[in-house]
Amino acid sequence: MIKKLPLELISWIGSLLYLAGIDPHTEHMSLCVFHWLGFAWCPGCGLGHSISFLLHGEFLQSWNAHILGGFGLMVLFHRIGQLLRLEYSKYQLKFNVN
Amino acid sequence: MDKNLLLSLPGIESEEMLFIQEAIKDLSEDAQRNFLLLYQGRRKDPQTILICCIIGFVGVAGVQRFILGQIGMGILYFFTAGLCFVGTIIDLLNYKKMTLEFNQSQIVECKLLAASFRS
Repeated sequence: MIKKLPLELISWIGSLLYLAGIDPHTEHMSLCVFHWLGFAWCPGCGLGHSISFLLHGEFLQSWNAHILGGFGLMVLFHRIGQLLRLEYSKYQLKFNVN
Repeated sequence: MDKNLLLSLPGIESEEMLFIQEAIKDLSEDAQRNFLLLYQGRRKDPQTILICCIIGFVGVAGVQRFILGQIGMGILYFFTAGLCFVGTIIDLLNYKKMTLEFNQSQIVECKLLAASFRS
């Protein structure tokens, strides 16, 4: 599937905006295939909550929800940065901006 | 002569070929040959990446990220089952673009290496 939109960039930015916008104390995110299949726990459990807590400044809650929350957020920021730089260089090439 | 060799790169499509031709057009014949030797060893076949994405559904997640040099993302995928499969699905939809972007960065590197190497 070749779409002109930067799918990955939009996905990560969209996810982080969503997690920043909701209230991690009340919302129950269920974007987990394991849960839909009936498993009680999966290795990704709590990651959404964890990152959401971090984006609201609650470090202890974040650690409780999922240990790799902080690491995950850093990695996602880094990846978003990488993709933004990539898109910008493509834009520069396309419109011959220097 | 080199143009025919480009066609033999597995799974190559026009966008990648055009990028290569544009990148190496100013190199000497020798340098172009060196470029091809270098690039063949570094380039990733989109089909390989696709298979690694699928492996993320049935076994270990993140292999495709490791192969494309994204170690941080690979570790994240590995420990979270591909971000609860969401990451794996995104990669599945996006694998061609991801592979192309990686290959393009390798083309640029190989071009610099080939241009600076004196045989």
